[in-house]
Amino acid sequence: MEDPTQVLYTELPVPLLSTAALLRHQRQSPRYQPYQRLHQPQLFHNNSVHEEYFRLRTTAYKEQPSPVDQGKTHISCLYPEILSIIFSYLDVRDKGRVAQVCTAWRDAAYQKSVWRGVVAKLHLRRANPSLFTSLVKRGIKKVQVLSLRRSLRDVIQGIPNLESLNSSGCYNITDAGISHAFVAEVSTLTELNLSLCKQVTDSSLGRIAQYVKNLEVLELGGCTHITNTGLLLVGWGFTKLKRLNLRSCWQVSDQGINHLAQGNLALEHLSLQDCQRLSDEALKFATGLTSLKSLNLSFCIGITDSGLKHLARMGTLQELNLRSCDNISDIGMAYLSEGGSRIISLDVSFCDKIGDQALVHISQGLYNLKCLSLSACQISDEGLGKISSTLHELETLNIGQCARITDNGITTLAESLTRLRYIDLYGCTKITTLGLQKVMKLPQLSILNLGLWHIR
Amino acid sequence: MPKIKLQSSDGEIFDVDVEIAKCSVTIKTMLEDLGMDDEEEEIVPLPNVNSAILRKVLQWATFHKDDPPPPEDDENKEKRTDDISSWDADFLKVDQGTLFELILAANYLDIKGLLDVTCKTVANMIKGKAPEEIRKTFNIKNDFTASEEDQVRKENECLFDIF
Repeated sequence: MEDPTQVLYTELPVPLLSTAALLRHQRQSPRYQPYQRLHQPQLFHNNSVHEEYFRLRTTAYKEQPSPVDQGKTHISCLYPEILSIIFSYLDVRDKGRVAQVCTAWRDAAYQKSVWRGVVAKLHLRRANPSLFTSLVKRGIKKVQVLSLRRSLRDVIQGIPNLESLNSSGCYNITDAGISHAFVAEVSTLTELNLSLCKQVTDSSLGRIAQYVKNLEVLELGGCTHITNTGLLLVGWGFTKLKRLNLRSCWQVSDQGINHLAQGNLALEHLSLQDCQRLSDEALKFATGLTSLKSLNLSFCIGITDSGLKHLARMGTLQELNLRSCDNISDIGMAYLSEGGSRIISLDVSFCDKIGDQALVHISQGLYNLKCLSLSACQISDEGLGKISSTLHELETLNIGQCARITDNGITTLAESLTRLRYIDLYGCTKITTLGLQKVMKLPQLSILNLGLWHIR
Repeated sequence: MPKIKLQSSDGEIFDVDVEIAKCSVTIKTMLEDLGMDDEEEEIVPLPNVNSAILRKVLQWATFHKDDPPPPEDDENKEKRTDDISSWDADFLKVDQGTLFELILAANYLDIKGLLDVTCKTVANMIKGKAPEEIRKTFNIKNDFTASEEDQVRKENECLFDIF
């Protein structure tokens, strides 16, 4: 451990409290203290200085006397572009306050660069055209609708360059509302979030596919009326879609995944969390998604070990989440590693049937793993010994609630896996200060979690 | 290591490693455009930077010479101001005038890392303050007419409900 103060603890055992006190002290004292005003600023707004600077800047390389004596430069010497850079670091409330300081600051605060990336969070109640003018003036292109009593059409038409629309949780959005809102091409829109808009059905997807051709991100988590037909529309309609979330879309079955794979998508991220009707057949179809980088199958209890044979063949797959897939066992891990999977992130937390034998399989094939989550799995020191000897790339290891792990396992781990940066040991009751001291010696360690909540 | 001579606005000459001087994109481009050879003892005049500020800039550049290039601005990433390293924070414990001159120099010399950290420092001085407190902090005169002030206040207060 080169510098113990670089490690962030989230909960501390008593013997290490001296370090903790040190950390706390450092974190509470402000890293930045206000300047003492050592110099007397010159009286307000020296325009000649400003212009002189600007002139000099444009006629570079010629020798000129310095226009400003040191110690006298006033903030008004900063060009508007520089003020805009400064304002871009402020939160929205502070951006609103700087606009009220003086006219020069007001003008700088209205520059679009100041508002880049800012999301407007709106309650759409009454008609308010001046609101949209104000947003457009600032170049706002991202909107989150918190609640609505009016049509989404106000937003779509009020902000012509809309890039991102998030109406997550707006339960009163209906198919009729969607078809009222989307009446012409919205070519700038690339992100649409309709999570928990529970009234939305396949017909809305058809409408959106017709007018939002450039969509890259579509969130449909909890849209329980979406069926396989909807996925047929998604597969053929959104040729640029990279990320699709179908969490808890209970009606989606294997055939729906086939529709996605048959379409002309270049999907990279697919979440099928809690899609209970999916079986191993869905994973066979999923191999047709040839650009897929990450797949989330957590809580899909219909997925079994044999399904993983298909996933092992997917060369592009980097990230696989099988959290709480109750029917995944040690054998599944054998299929993954023997099938030549090159995943770098694997989560099998809360899979009761994953034990030491799974770690043997993982250690014999999944050499690229950088992130492995085994929380609450039936693993022991023996299994940890296996992965310690081969998973040299590992940076993140979550083994919380693995109550059989002792100081021995942790010591082996800490002596072999020197690239580890994040470790979660919450609820590993057999680990003592002795083991923790070994972990603390890891050269790259930045987060060691011992508490219930993982704070980053 | 090859050296280069930089001349500040008040005529002082600084002998600097070329690699350190090149953290300034302005100087780097100048050397490339003018085809300045390492062999020749050319002097690069920097008419917009006085010796006191140039000395500080070079001190900063020397400390940061092995830094990876700063990442491109990503609009989806939240802009932070609490990630100033403790060395930079100490380095920037200067009076306001010096701070602003460092900003102007970083801008003129095109040193993104220094411009970022100095702008963050000013942003930290603004955060959480009411408009009148900001005016006091920086000695700024309120030049709004009453109606302008009223208008800008209304518009920005309405925005607080939106974001």
